[in-house]
Amino acid sequence: MKILLKITVLLVPIIFILMFFFLLTEKRSYPGADYSEFQVPNFNLENLYENKIITDKDLRGDYIINVWASWCITCRVEHPYLMDLKNRRIPVVGINYKDERNNAVDWLAKYGDPYKIIIHDFKGSLALDLGVTGAPETFLVNNGKIVAHYQGEINDKIWKDVFDPIIKEKDMFR
Amino acid sequence: MIIEISHFLSLLATGLFFLVGLFSLFVTSNSYTSNLISRTYSQAFLLLFSSFLIYVWLAVTDNFSVEYIANHSNSALPVFYKVSSIWSAHEGSMFLWIVFLSIWGFIFNIAINNNEILKPKTVGIISFILVGFLLFLLLTSNPFITILPIAPDNGADINPVLQDPALAIHPPTLYLGYVGFVIPFAASLAFLINGDSSIKWEKLIRKWSVMAWVFLTVGISLGSWWAYYELGWGGYWFWDPVENIALMPWLAATAFIHSLSVSIKSSHLRIWTILLSILVFSLSLFGAFIVRSGIIDSVHSFANDPQRGLYLLAFIGAIIAASVFLFVSRFSMINSSNNIPNLSKESFISINNILFGTLIFSIMLGVTYPLFYEYLFDQKISVGAPFYNAIFIPIVILASLFLFFSVDSKWSRGITIDMFKKPIILSITLSIISVIAISFIFKTKDIFILLSIFAGLLIISRYIIEIWKYIFNKKYLNFFSVVAHLALGLLLISISFNSLLSSERALNIKLNQYEEYKDMKVYFNNIQLIKGSNYDAVKASFNIEDSSGNNFNLSPEKRRYFTRGQITTETAIYITPIKDIYLTIGDQLDDGSWIVNIQINFFIRWIWFSAALMSFAGIMLIFSRKRI
Repeated sequence: MKILLKITVLLVPIIFILMFFFLLTEKRSYPGADYSEFQVPNFNLENLYENKIITDKDLRGDYIINVWASWCITCRVEHPYLMDLKNRRIPVVGINYKDERNNAVDWLAKYGDPYKIIIHDFKGSLALDLGVTGAPETFLVNNGKIVAHYQGEINDKIWKDVFDPIIKEKDMFR
Repeated sequence: MIIEISHFLSLLATGLFFLVGLFSLFVTSNSYTSNLISRTYSQAFLLLFSSFLIYVWLAVTDNFSVEYIANHSNSALPVFYKVSSIWSAHEGSMFLWIVFLSIWGFIFNIAINNNEILKPKTVGIISFILVGFLLFLLLTSNPFITILPIAPDNGADINPVLQDPALAIHPPTLYLGYVGFVIPFAASLAFLINGDSSIKWEKLIRKWSVMAWVFLTVGISLGSWWAYYELGWGGYWFWDPVENIALMPWLAATAFIHSLSVSIKSSHLRIWTILLSILVFSLSLFGAFIVRSGIIDSVHSFANDPQRGLYLLAFIGAIIAASVFLFVSRFSMINSSNNIPNLSKESFISINNILFGTLIFSIMLGVTYPLFYEYLFDQKISVGAPFYNAIFIPIVILASLFLFFSVDSKWSRGITIDMFKKPIILSITLSIISVIAISFIFKTKDIFILLSIFAGLLIISRYIIEIWKYIFNKKYLNFFSVVAHLALGLLLISISFNSLLSSERALNIKLNQYEEYKDMKVYFNNIQLIKGSNYDAVKASFNIEDSSGNNFNLSPEKRRYFTRGQITTETAIYITPIKDIYLTIGDQLDDGSWIVNIQINFFIRWIWFSAALMSFAGIMLIFSRKRI
């Protein structure tokens, strides 16, 4: 009876700890990351700098979508990393999210513009279709298909843990 | 510069706490070393506390070069919310959690005499726990990281649902409860390490445990109240994973302070008491792990990276493993050979321990099973209210019946309880008559509701008879127990009536028209757009008239906050002692009408009042002069 109690007291926490260890180290359970695949939704929105319309047909190949806004502090934090991506010749499409045009343009003038194209999504309609809940969020697009989605600041670590494995697997950005 | 000073002070504190831990556990204790340990702990605490005060100062003065403050505060906020923005997200709230832990240790350190044999080791264990969490904070979730050289002009603002007085005090109160159980935990480990079973470690920590329990009770109730009126959830309990995670330590703590009262008197149930002291703190740590590892999605969880989860799991796992290992290896020391007499107070409390243990295990299963199931079989299952209700209601009723009979039991004596004693017969008769009357008046045959009311009435009537005897026959009365258990009875009755009588309906109403619900006419008078300081809102005005001639206005709102684009509902509540009329507005339909959700919540205030009464009983015990 006493042995049984001792064994239970020892085993129960150990089993729980092990189970949580497996849960945490499971490859596809990275917090903030989502790997469900879907097509880039259809849209029809203005460019941030000029009143030219951009649609989903204008975007081709492999690229990154980054949702940002001038009011978003974390966007300011991840900004140097996006500049780094630009230097590495990785195309980044910006979605300016629920932002005043003037503020956004000023922001880019002040800190630098890492984006190839910027879509001005004032009402957040495209962002809604993409399943965005806030800024910043970043998507990896492979030939018009979203293959990874990360909520929060991207940096070198997130890039290596979340995006790199898929980029290698799908042989992207060639 | 000042940011770096604050950062450096907490690093320094970590080092000092480590030395305290090292000294207390590995250096032979004498009066010199115990003085040294006590003083060094206090110094380390002062360093950490100064670091935190500077951090508060940084938040109050809008120092947005600190990334965390820039992300969660704003210069337009009132000072009160600038301070509370510190615990509105992971890094800052972890910092607060650690500071609270060190405060408990500090007060314990200055309140307890250095001659107390277990004190140095208790302080040392607390220090080691502090070191582990400080390293977690500084290595994986550093709140001192700066955005330099160019700091943003303004901060991103606190999450709007957190801009509420109840929420500003809900997390700190809850944290004070969670971490307060470090005192009994550390003391019980110190007792086990020391190895002398004649030491009364239970006496040392009785009031500390009750204090922590009070904080936990108040913290959980505040969270429940906040979710009711601010989140617009419209109820008092939702079996949300994180609510459950707070309830588990509460149940364990409640069982613990009962079990403690037995161990203090007679050294019986020592195995239970020590195991429960370990369980309470382990469950508190488990809660921290769950919300901070990103494993569960809930209103409470923080966005996170897995590194944090792994660190926490490793550290918490080590604490729990070390304590259960110590427990098992010292089992013979605490295993009391003499049996507990049947039907003594001790026996009732051990039954209570078993029942509470069952409740905790069921919640644990409900919280973790869906996670493990999804991991193993890649299928989502959800465990919700029906599961918890099915387990809780019968067990709580059973526990209440045992409580009822335990009133007549005696310490250490197995007297047979005379079922035909006047108080028992009187309470049972009164309760049965009342329940039958209620069943007829409210036309209900719901057996669980009627049984819960019956159990609540039994407890209340039995204790009122005891109070009567105290007044007229000068019979001894344990006030704390009486007040706390009366509150339990009241809680059972309020919850039962709440679920029996409350109702809700979604109405579609056009402007300047009315809809009827129950005995009420709801007139839709006005709708307007208003501009707040940092949000736009739709504000609707309703006039409600009921058959008894009451007439009142309610104006629920829907707000959209600029900085985060977040939409929140502001409920409008008309409060009477018996019931709340609770109104929220939804969306506008194509025909121009608005969806309006109306709820009538009976006795909901009484639920929180019962919780407050329970806490009051605990506070009475803490401030009583009675030597335990």
